Amino acid sequence: MDPSMSPEDADRYPGLTPAGAQMLEWMREHPHAPIYRNASGHRLLPDELPGIQAFAAEVRRAEVDPRADLTQPWLREYIAQALARVPHYRRYGSPPDQLADLPTLTRGDLARDVAQFVPDDQPLDRLINFRTTGLTGQPLLIASHPLVAARYLAFHQRALARFGIELTSGPGDVGVMLVGWQQRCFTYVSVTPQRGECGLAKINLHECDWRDPADRGPYIDALRPELMTGDPLSLAALLGIEFDHQPRAIMSTSMALLPGLRAALAQRFDCPVLDLYSLNEAGPIAVFDPALDAHVLLQTQMAVEIVNAAGDPVAEGERGEIALTGGFNFCLPLLRYRTGDHASLERRDGEWVLAGLAGRAPVRFRTGSGEWINNIDVTHALKPFALPQYALLQRADGGLEFDVHSHHGADLDAVDAALRGLFGAEASLQIAAHPEPCDKVVQYRSELADGAVG
Amino acid sequence: MNTEGPPLEQLTRRLLETPTPFLGEPRIGTHGSVHVTALVADVLAAFGVSAGPDALKRFDARDRTKERNPRLLTQILCWLLTDPSLRGKIGADELLRLLFDEANALAAQVAAREFVDNDERREELARMALSSAGLRPAGESRNVAEDRWLAVSSRERTRLAAASRAAEERARQIREALARKAAEESADKWSRE
Repeated sequence: MDPSMSPEDADRYPGLTPAGAQMLEWMREHPHAPIYRNASGHRLLPDELPGIQAFAAEVRRAEVDPRADLTQPWLREYIAQALARVPHYRRYGSPPDQLADLPTLTRGDLARDVAQFVPDDQPLDRLINFRTTGLTGQPLLIASHPLVAARYLAFHQRALARFGIELTSGPGDVGVMLVGWQQRCFTYVSVTPQRGECGLAKINLHECDWRDPADRGPYIDALRPELMTGDPLSLAALLGIEFDHQPRAIMSTSMALLPGLRAALAQRFDCPVLDLYSLNEAGPIAVFDPALDAHVLLQTQMAVEIVNAAGDPVAEGERGEIALTGGFNFCLPLLRYRTGDHASLERRDGEWVLAGLAGRAPVRFRTGSGEWINNIDVTHALKPFALPQYALLQRADGGLEFDVHSHHGADLDAVDAALRGLFGAEASLQIAAHPEPCDKVVQYRSELADGAVG
Repeated sequence: MNTEGPPLEQLTRRLLETPTPFLGEPRIGTHGSVHVTALVADVLAAFGVSAGPDALKRFDARDRTKERNPRLLTQILCWLLTDPSLRGKIGADELLRLLFDEANALAAQVAAREFVDNDERREELARMALSSAGLRPAGESRNVAEDRWLAVSSRERTRLAAASRAAEERARQIREALARKAAEESADKWSRE
């Protein structure tokens, strides 16, 4: 460890070798590098690495059986532990005879106080958080842990293996580039110790994060990341940048990847384009397989129910809301968590899949000056106001309708100013405030012909 | 507690042997098999008392998150209170208080099944039922019975208060831990949602 390293960096990259430090410096100080605005790291302790590798190996070979059937020993034990150790679930009482005897959980329950979902015996010194607003516009803080974040890779590898991709990046390589396309984006560099400290670069393709926007292509060509990941809007922006590098795979997350964009990405980069169904609350859940025309489930200890509006399981093969029990985030055990997304649970070619998954569609909005912006920029602009729930619609004439639900005391003049800061002072903007929360809010919608991406 | 009642063990054994139907899922909305309101009405009838529809309506549960555990405890209490030694010895108001308010208070921190599975909890519920009936366990003097009931009930109150304080403190610590700069920076994931 470099003795000159700051205490913050020592926490971000425990056990950093000189080669790892060199990788960080190279990515950060490259002549074409973007302006990295933030810092973060893997935060993994060296003695945790064998466990992470063992977890990945187990995920790789285990069979996925998502049936919410209490004859599965892991599920019975998981429920008993959650009822005994998690404050919110303790109120439910005793373990049930069937999972459906327990109440369902909503995003609103998590948003109210996430502290009620952290197990009693979970040490707090290495707790981290992930923030999200998701489909319903309810801001949510997720309790997590560096080990949980690191375990994502195990599910990525399982998903990639379906498409014949085995990751090979190691020391001296850049393993992954996470691309964003937002006016404001959390950007940084790191290394992945379980893969020989290969590089990780989280960049923003938006011009505002580059000294010269023409640096974007050369920077990607210099780093040559094995994998590129991002939301569909960011991947669409990638198509507009000239560079030669072809990653071995592209992974789309956060929103639904529409077929047109998938085809354009596959054609340009000549590599598999994976559409990952992944939630901050539960991690990577499923990956789309065109051969099965469905999302194949990835997690080995995750029970999936399809429920109706009352929270009762629907008949086998019927369509309904996806509810999750289990998962690998030990800081946030989930019991019958309603995702807000809809699909049916089926078995195709011997594998469990979510068929007809209708998730969150990406939306871009047009500003008064004709510039397109990512829905995530709207999320960022509204962050200071802690709005419990909101929805933004751009009408076909470009006018904007903004609905705030359950807004208790929010400064709507300031919200108006923030939105005008984004869309332009002359934007046609109507704000409607509703005192009560709304169960089904589609957060971002556009009636513009080019509003949907893909 | 002027009158001697049954041996304490008679009631604790009754709890231990609670029949399966009383441990079924309380009917909440469209889910569950046990109609708690009907069960409570049966208990009142067995005691020769009645209550208005409004008093019974409270047992009509709607929220599985909040009411599953308390109503399961109501079911267990229904079984306990219909022990022949207690019948006719508790008034309607006190019965309703035990079956609703006490069940809610006790179930706030403890899984209802614990009152069947755990020695201490069984004793607590048995002594509570005897006290409400104005009875003392057979073989115990009035003073001893009162002291033991006070000890059991105050121990429970102290435990509940301590658990509640500890839960608030723990939640505060979690919120603080999540707000630290390092927690806000989060950690590497190869994909972000």
